[in-house]
Amino acid sequence: MTLVQVNTEGPSLVDGYRALVGDGPLRALEALARRLKGHRVAMVNSTATGGGVAEILHRLVRLLEELGVPTTWEVMPGDARFYGITKTIHNTLHGWPGTLTAEDREYFMEVNRRAAEALALDGDLVLIHDPQPVALARWRRRPGQRWLWRCHIDLSRAQLEVRDFVTAPLADYDAAVFSHVSFVPPLALPAYLAPPSIDPLSDKNRELGEEEETALLAPFALPPRRPWVTQISRFDRIKDPLGVVRAFDLVRRQEDAHLILAGGSADDDPEGAEVLAEVRARVAGRTDVSILLLPPDAHMTINALQRRSTVVVQKSLREGFALTVSEALWKRRAVVASAVGGIPLQVLHERTGMLVRSVEGCAYQITRLLRAPEMRRRLGAEGREHVRQNFLHTREARDYLAVFARLLMTQARR
Amino acid sequence: MSDVAPVAFELFGVVHLVRPAGFAAANLEELRGGLDRATPTSLFHHAFEATLRHPAAAERPPDDFSHWVSAVVQDRETAERLSFAVQSGANCASELRGALIEVLDTVPERERIERDAPEGGEFVFLEMESVPLETGWAVGDCEALMERLAEADPSVLFYHLIEQPWLEPDLPSLVTWSRGAGEAKLAGWLIESAHDGRPLEDMRRRLLQRWKRSHLSRRLAEATLVPEQQRREAGRRVISSLVRRIQRPER
Repeated sequence: MTLVQVNTEGPSLVDGYRALVGDGPLRALEALARRLKGHRVAMVNSTATGGGVAEILHRLVRLLEELGVPTTWEVMPGDARFYGITKTIHNTLHGWPGTLTAEDREYFMEVNRRAAEALALDGDLVLIHDPQPVALARWRRRPGQRWLWRCHIDLSRAQLEVRDFVTAPLADYDAAVFSHVSFVPPLALPAYLAPPSIDPLSDKNRELGEEEETALLAPFALPPRRPWVTQISRFDRIKDPLGVVRAFDLVRRQEDAHLILAGGSADDDPEGAEVLAEVRARVAGRTDVSILLLPPDAHMTINALQRRSTVVVQKSLREGFALTVSEALWKRRAVVASAVGGIPLQVLHERTGMLVRSVEGCAYQITRLLRAPEMRRRLGAEGREHVRQNFLHTREARDYLAVFARLLMTQARR
Repeated sequence: MSDVAPVAFELFGVVHLVRPAGFAAANLEELRGGLDRATPTSLFHHAFEATLRHPAAAERPPDDFSHWVSAVVQDRETAERLSFAVQSGANCASELRGALIEVLDTVPERERIERDAPEGGEFVFLEMESVPLETGWAVGDCEALMERLAEADPSVLFYHLIEQPWLEPDLPSLVTWSRGAGEAKLAGWLIESAHDGRPLEDMRRRLLQRWKRSHLSRRLAEATLVPEQQRREAGRRVISSLVRRIQRPER
């Protein structure tokens, strides 16, 4: 069985989002849903559980159903060999080493062909997520259908040969959607941009009570009275944790504060382990810096850390989108972040946070914010509103519906 | 003067889809080149769409050009001047393009090249496609129009007051419709609102205030024609609503 049953129990999602994001965004969704009246959406990806794509699909499918757009979600069938190949594709698209042999490519296509026979694809608006099922259109596209490919992956450093292999089947699509402009490869079809989004109802972003927050943070023995300056990111050179420490050292010449560097454990990433060791060596013996290694499911801990921080930092040297910035802004935090990748879309300098280009700039803005509670409050309020309008799941759902509405206004490709 | 417009006016909201235009700028010189090539919809998107992205901001958010020059290139002076050029009320793409290029031309070419973005911080020109959204509201007169504008999504104001007059000036607009309905003053305020550089919610508030004030005298005159009993009842309703508002606990 390939069809995913989405949990529809509990209070209505539309009501839940409406309470958080207001009436306007929901009205836009309802208007778009009316435009799609008489159409059915079919979505396909490669897994029903685990990972950000499955998470958003559980919400999205239910939301569309509640809006009156009949929507089905199918998981494409595959086997261990296929998933080995798609893992290589995933890694090489992220720029890591790996090779796709001619046999791998042939097998990838063969599994897509078989899946095309097995899947119901019960819709005239078909939304395919990520590379695994990308070639389905070749065998299953029917006249009158519109096919849309949603790429959730950062392709900016992809191995070109693999990228071209993955995007070749887009000849059978009407449009594609990418998270950020830097991820868009050269294509012969419209490539729309839909930034990723956060779920205000999820454990990582929902409101927490004070007691709940305290309980979640208790195991880390963080100083309760000092203001916290926090960066939540994996230990990777491009996230520049050592740059954050250097900036914090400059801050400490003038202000009392505590630095928290929180990220996933680096056991399966040799370079990450190396970076973590360097950071540990750099701050050894200090009581004003905490390094927290969090498990992958520590969503509520991250939520509590962000909420208790006075300043949230994202001092990346390079970025994809950096949704941690939107998470912090949604929690009304003052943010200091580098002007790279998708960050300037989220941080409007001096409006929703501070954009920086150097260690000194970072230190200056952190110090400034530590001293200015009123400025933090103002930035936090504008930041939350900015995220409410632009970076919640409701906006991402709106973008998909708008692309479909747009495609319905134009002639199908065949 | 007539209160009734000849034809009902249908209100739309709007959603914008964006896609890469195919070129980017890594310094002010390349920004100048991009401005020269950009289509009217691309220029419109970068100059005005921020207003829709931040409808309830305390002040109007910066356009994409000056935001990039200020925050990424960190050339505050040029950014301020670009902001001013955008807010100076260019009515069409060629005017806007000319105004922006004029600002950049005041920076010597060598400096335009030197004032650049860090790697990954390039300004990517985007193309915009509009998807108008039916609101289901067709208004027959200006009173009904203002009632709808009071509760409409900000994108309705954006579409009718900013986008449509700029991108589709030949189509019948809310301004021409209001004028046709005998409300020349309202038509003037609508034009003014679109150009005065306020955030959408602020724009809406001011517009409604002006409308209400301008109709006070008319309402008073109408009220004197209403029988005494009805006027008393209306007065009681107003007072009790006021009392309820005063007694409502603060959120």
